[in-house]
Amino acid sequence: MSIVVSSARTGCSASPQARKEGTGDAHPVPLLCLFAGAVLWLFVALTLGLIDSLKFHNPEFLAGEPYLSYGRVHAAQNTALLYGFGVPVALGLGLWLLCRLGRAALAAPWVVLLGALFWNFALAAGVAAVLCGGRSGYEGFEFPAWCAPLLFVAYILIGVCAFVTFDRRREEKLYPSQWFVIGALFWFPWIFSTAGLLLLAAPARGVLQALIACWCAHNLSGVFLGFAGLASSFYFIPKILGRPLHSHYLAALAFWTIALFGSCGGVPNGAPVPAWIVSLSVVGTGLTIVPLLAVATNFYLTVRRDLEVLDADPTLRFTYVGLMFWLIAGAQQIAGALPGVSAITDFTWFGAARSGLFHNGFFGLTVFGALYYILPRLLGLGPAAWRPGLLKAHFFLAFLGVLITYVSLVSAGVGQGILLSDARNSFADVMRRTMLPLRVSTLGELMILVGTVLFLLNFARILILACRRCRAEAKERA
Amino acid sequence: MNRGPLLFLGLFATMACSWLGFVLGPQLQLGGLTQTNTVVLGDALSQSYPVPEPGDARQGAEVYRANGCAFCHTEMVRPRSLGSDIVQSWGARRSLAEDYLFDQPVMLGSQRIGPDLANVGLRSDTNGILLRLYDPRRIIRGSLMPSYRFLFETRKIGFFPSPDALVLPPPDRPPPGCEVVPRPAARALAAYLMSLRQNGYLFEAPPPGQKTNAVPAVKTAAAK
Repeated sequence: MSIVVSSARTGCSASPQARKEGTGDAHPVPLLCLFAGAVLWLFVALTLGLIDSLKFHNPEFLAGEPYLSYGRVHAAQNTALLYGFGVPVALGLGLWLLCRLGRAALAAPWVVLLGALFWNFALAAGVAAVLCGGRSGYEGFEFPAWCAPLLFVAYILIGVCAFVTFDRRREEKLYPSQWFVIGALFWFPWIFSTAGLLLLAAPARGVLQALIACWCAHNLSGVFLGFAGLASSFYFIPKILGRPLHSHYLAALAFWTIALFGSCGGVPNGAPVPAWIVSLSVVGTGLTIVPLLAVATNFYLTVRRDLEVLDADPTLRFTYVGLMFWLIAGAQQIAGALPGVSAITDFTWFGAARSGLFHNGFFGLTVFGALYYILPRLLGLGPAAWRPGLLKAHFFLAFLGVLITYVSLVSAGVGQGILLSDARNSFADVMRRTMLPLRVSTLGELMILVGTVLFLLNFARILILACRRCRAEAKERA
Repeated sequence: MNRGPLLFLGLFATMACSWLGFVLGPQLQLGGLTQTNTVVLGDALSQSYPVPEPGDARQGAEVYRANGCAFCHTEMVRPRSLGSDIVQSWGARRSLAEDYLFDQPVMLGSQRIGPDLANVGLRSDTNGILLRLYDPRRIIRGSLMPSYRFLFETRKIGFFPSPDALVLPPPDRPPPGCEVVPRPAARALAAYLMSLRQNGYLFEAPPPGQKTNAVPAVKTAAAK
């Protein structure tokens, strides 16, 4: 694969220069495939989430259909969100950042495309199997046993290309975003193969399964998606403000402490495992205060002179709001791990609230911010190609939706926990009394879904624009 | 941090720490767990605990898994100091690693939209469970559980009424000449739920009122 400087400077390729110098128009295709597939999966996940949420208004809603019963839809929704949206978009984002920061062309773009297609088809089969009752039974790792190796192969196809791209970088000095991308790329195969081998291929004995599933799910969200999202924040916030990042040392501190402490956790207090495992999990989670403070300080010192322009650019706006949500979700996780608090909040809506904030708030918003920057450039259009009204509406719907869902679920969770600690309240009574906030959260989920639909419309529009331009150029040449 | 190999080495080391702590370490400690000879709640004689679930319960676990019951029901009782599980009388003692020795897959669950089921077999009967699956809100007003009617079959009564037809109150009662019968999946699920009982006393969770555990004593008695 030839390396073209001019194409590397403007993204992976797809700039007019790249075409002239003959790297081919193929380069944006794999990334577009990853991104488009991911956003469609997000749409699927949010729709399934809405179906689940409506079941709390009327438990009989679609209850007669085994395929659409609560548990199956919930499992499919988790899978679509984590593996349909999260992993491909993290990969796409990672590839783009590696190309851009390393000033290298994407290695073997057709292999990446193959991997992306393979991933999406394998996952579609997996999600269909989950809806038909083929769930594996491990939360965060729901697809059936035959699906895991397919996904792994697809990941390896893309991951190897990413490492080759990284290796071919022409910029010796590494920027923090590259560490985060490499960290994420490295983390995924490790946790995924651990889960695949010890849960599906040769299941560990007894409660170890639950422990391994907890650990994998915790790492998949906290470290893998966390790294991918932070890579984007570390790139776009300084880039768009035109200021250097305040401190690379603080970034390194955050990176290593997330890797070390953020990867330890996820085991609930009082879980039926030896106490040292739970202690390790609590201590690890508690120490994530270090990366939280490091990231917060670093970004505050980077942007403090530009606070008023943060809302001016859509990418910047999505990214910094996403980062705020990361901080809140992290702080909540630490609070929720303390034994006194967890006695009340564990197993309530409190945990679901945090997970929603992390995935839809932090990761979702950060990714959309990045996509608003990357997609027009991949298509050879300017950032003005987006329709600003749709963009603004998407931001407000997503932001308010995440906020409404979060606040309502946290209050439902805390209320539930406090009421349950009184033996006079029966469980059924407690659930009835915390229904109102739970039902309000449906509104938030609907808003996030509508926001995503607006993004898809906007995306379709710029795709059409790019196609038209291509056709016009072809005519000119003819 | 400008060197790729150094970055990889560092990542490998940090990842390995976490992996050793949460995968290998626990495997070394818990991977060799075996049945214990102990006393079981309400039984004076010592016996093996836990026992593998019977075949129909194993099939029921598959139904439980396939339908994602664990998204709303946990199967673990936390100790008295960490939550209200024992206060809510979901179990007499905390759950321990030994309790899940034969579970496949282990479905601890992570949220309680419904009550904990670790000991549901100790407080229910098969018929009650089937009725709940068929129409949860008839048993508990305002229950959030969806009805699982697809696990049941309404059919014409043959020569004789089926012995396991559900006895339903008027609004749910099938049309005359018909009966509601649990499908095999429903019966298996009920058998699985009835098999959920964490009632063996273990070293970490001695019988109430006893400071030390009786288990070692039982063991020595058996050895003599």
